Amino acid sequence: MDRYRVMIIDDEKIVGDMAKMSLEREGYLVETFLNGEPALARLKEERFDVVVTDLKMKGVDGMEVLRTVKELYPDTKVIMITAFANLDTAIEALRGDVHDFFPKPVKIRELKVSIERALGSR
Amino acid sequence: MKDFAGYTARLVKKAGKLFAGRFCRDRVPLPVVFGRFRRVLENHNRAIEIITDMGEKLGGDYLFDITYLRRAYTELRENINDSIESFGLLTQGKYSGLKAIFGRIDREINRLLFDEVPASREMVLFFEDITWDRGSETGGKNANLAVLKNELKLSVPDGFSLTTSAFTEFIRHNGIDAKIAALGQDGDITEEELMDIRSAILRGEMPPALNKEIGEAIKKLGTRCSGHCPLAVRSSAVEEDGEYSFAGQYESVLNVPLGEAAVEDAYRQVLASLFTEKSAAYHRQAGLDIKNARMAVGCLFMVDAAVSGVLYSENPGGERNTQLISATWGLGKSIVEGQTDADSYLIRKGGQPVITQKKTGRKNSMVVNGERSGIDIVSTPSNMAGKSSLTDEQALDLAALGARIEAYFRTPQDIEWALDREGRFSLLQTRPLRVAEQTLRSGRAKELKQYVPVLLEAKGLVVQPGAAAGKVFLLRHMDDLDHFPRGAVLVAHHDSSNFVRVMPFVSAIITDVGTPTSHMASVCREFRIPALVNAGDASSILRHGQEVTLLADDEGNAIVYEGIVDTLIDHVRSGSAKMDELYEFRKKRYVLRFISPLNLIDPLLDNFVPEGCKTMHDILRFIHEKSVAGLIEGARDGGQASSAVKLELPIPAGIMVADIGGGIREQYEGRSVSFEDIVSIPFRAILKGMMHPGAWHADTVSLGAQDFFSSMMRMPDIVSDSSDYLRYNVAVISHDYVNLNLRFGYHYNMMDCFCSDNARNNHIYFRFAGGATDILKRSRRLELIARILREFGFTIKIKGDLIIARLSNISREEMEKILDQTGRLIAFARQLDAVLHDEASVERYARKFMGGEYIL
Repeated sequence: MDRYRVMIIDDEKIVGDMAKMSLEREGYLVETFLNGEPALARLKEERFDVVVTDLKMKGVDGMEVLRTVKELYPDTKVIMITAFANLDTAIEALRGDVHDFFPKPVKIRELKVSIERALGSR
Repeated sequence: MKDFAGYTARLVKKAGKLFAGRFCRDRVPLPVVFGRFRRVLENHNRAIEIITDMGEKLGGDYLFDITYLRRAYTELRENINDSIESFGLLTQGKYSGLKAIFGRIDREINRLLFDEVPASREMVLFFEDITWDRGSETGGKNANLAVLKNELKLSVPDGFSLTTSAFTEFIRHNGIDAKIAALGQDGDITEEELMDIRSAILRGEMPPALNKEIGEAIKKLGTRCSGHCPLAVRSSAVEEDGEYSFAGQYESVLNVPLGEAAVEDAYRQVLASLFTEKSAAYHRQAGLDIKNARMAVGCLFMVDAAVSGVLYSENPGGERNTQLISATWGLGKSIVEGQTDADSYLIRKGGQPVITQKKTGRKNSMVVNGERSGIDIVSTPSNMAGKSSLTDEQALDLAALGARIEAYFRTPQDIEWALDREGRFSLLQTRPLRVAEQTLRSGRAKELKQYVPVLLEAKGLVVQPGAAAGKVFLLRHMDDLDHFPRGAVLVAHHDSSNFVRVMPFVSAIITDVGTPTSHMASVCREFRIPALVNAGDASSILRHGQEVTLLADDEGNAIVYEGIVDTLIDHVRSGSAKMDELYEFRKKRYVLRFISPLNLIDPLLDNFVPEGCKTMHDILRFIHEKSVAGLIEGARDGGQASSAVKLELPIPAGIMVADIGGGIREQYEGRSVSFEDIVSIPFRAILKGMMHPGAWHADTVSLGAQDFFSSMMRMPDIVSDSSDYLRYNVAVISHDYVNLNLRFGYHYNMMDCFCSDNARNNHIYFRFAGGATDILKRSRRLELIARILREFGFTIKIKGDLIIARLSNISREEMEKILDQTGRLIAFARQLDAVLHDEASVERYARKFMGGEYIL
């Protein structure tokens, strides 16, 4: 069986590195990006099952990632993480058809559960 | 005796007049002192919570980013800052140096979190002047050597460091900064670009100021050596030998003549080695930017080495608890670079280290100092090749050094050493050694239960998940820690920051009572020592010497199995340990080094001073401990006895009570109060103990008023020629506090206790001194009191005929029990020395007391 593909976008390297290490151990294929542009370029080449993205990034931000993903692959689930958690951004993100929303620091176990649920509900 | 209160009130008025002005300038009303104490505590608690949170978030189970770190640290800094302010008021500026220490640690953290580079400082620093916090100026390798020299007082060659400020100055002076900034502008960094920088460095001119300082340093060093004294000029980059080894990346120039030109030449060579393809690749791989790299250099006397080598204080990949020494004739360069036919010794650690394996290599060639400069590789003389280069005794001596260094850094070390021709060891380098951690494979607990007996289950709070096995070491008294065997499982009634002493040797910790936010708990997390606290009756279920395996998972479940369950322990790294392989993770986590470790462990030791603080946790610990002292002083000097009322008890203890808030029930009548009126939690508990049936021997006590003294509140000193009526005992109380001064006959007893619902705030400070009988009986009584207090978990210090006992971080319930027992002890101890006729009686009465039998 093919392995699920997960994309992580966060402008801090540590977030992608840690997520990649944890998720690869669960058998996912993981690619990480430090900003939105190359991530979107990669998405145009290939489909991912789940995209985990930071909300606030320079250039292409999380909301733009979300829009593009939904345009290209309506089935792909998007999970949003952000250091600046407030109600407004959460509501905005959820309206935009986000699967889940986490303030950072996010417990890796919870992220894994969320990804599993995203894949189960497709 | 009827009108104590009125008398006291008049006395205090009188005293107040007497002391108004010059004598009492610093006297602060006790409620004010107490208010300051509480503010210190509030900030302290919040700060410990933040440190705990940071430890958790950076433990490998969370995705976090720099924003979190900055935010958390900013809050921590504000709390500690406030705490220091209140502390300064409380202690009346007694520890004014603390603020500067805080500033130094803060600067190091800011450098990491906010990329703040310290302002230009000295370009040359002698090793004796390198303090622990100057790693960013001298590079990790130099900073570690300075620790060995200055803190551990071990033998390290004399020398100085050319700091990163010197590097910056040299690079700027020669216009190389522009070349470095332009590196990789057109894509990848090329060898051509690097070569260009290297040659610019090698032909670079020394900045005049630096040249002058190097000249002076060489002159100064020259006065410390006679004859031919060449130097080793070695790299010490900022990140080197800290979290990242950079092993073998940079140049070292050996056997450099002690002269300006030669040293400066060697200096250029070492700087140039920062810009090689190898180094650029390492930086890239590690996620570091070579453009930001700065190189400090160490210039140290060469050791005229007969034998040199490397010591691993833990044998990586081999049997645990074993040190590995590699040794060869002459200089150690060949070993460091991987020579394979060196001698090797395996030494089992422990109380009596033993050489378990010895392999003598052929050592056909050896590295020696060249005649004038540089090094030569020569054939080993035939009478030396194939012969062991170290005696067994030397190998064991070296292993002992390794153990000391490991204990200091609290992590296995990779140490370079040299043995000179007089047979003395010198240390040339030490850095952390990464050893695979023994951790568990999760999901085994349920299956295992079917065939392995379970001793303890579903109890306690997991402080640090993991699996570990070993023999139970049941801690009865704090002093027993001195005999703690390596690899044992520490089982104790209370948790204690004293356990830090054995952290390098402990495989797991289990306590009956304790909190996951204690000092001990945060240190367990720091060092990933599996730990379970508040497990109820662990210390009565687990037997001393019994082999057990603790399995604590990261969902908070813990099981203790009987025996060593090998299948649980496995060399596969757990998730959080594996994160250590990520450079970014280690780099971010590195900041904790200045925040969470605890170096100030024992308030009775000499290093318990502001200068001993190296982390924010140390500062908090210091503040907490000294706040208690400040409070005690405040209670002594500023007690408002004017509001004191007499306490009527069924025993003739003659106590006056001064309430500074919530210590006495509001509706009491008259000028005296009864036991029922006392609502101060700690005072009530002590009184309960004192009044315990049988504990107070009315018949053996003289009830004369003069026996009832007086307190250490200095009142009697003011009017020492006055009436005997003034001699009473005094308790200053609030709802959760008591400062009790008692004198019975010639025995002085002082207790200071804070007892609230937050275990972290709670403390008992107990002093006992004096005694009318002969010195022998007196010391027997001290011994007996000490013995009983130890049973309750107190840390004891005895000075002459004074006992000082402390206990802190205990829950309210636990503390009430202990105070009750302490109350009984106070009553019991009054006449003890009269009956302690021989050594055996000490043991006998201690047993009686513990058994609840108080008949003398």
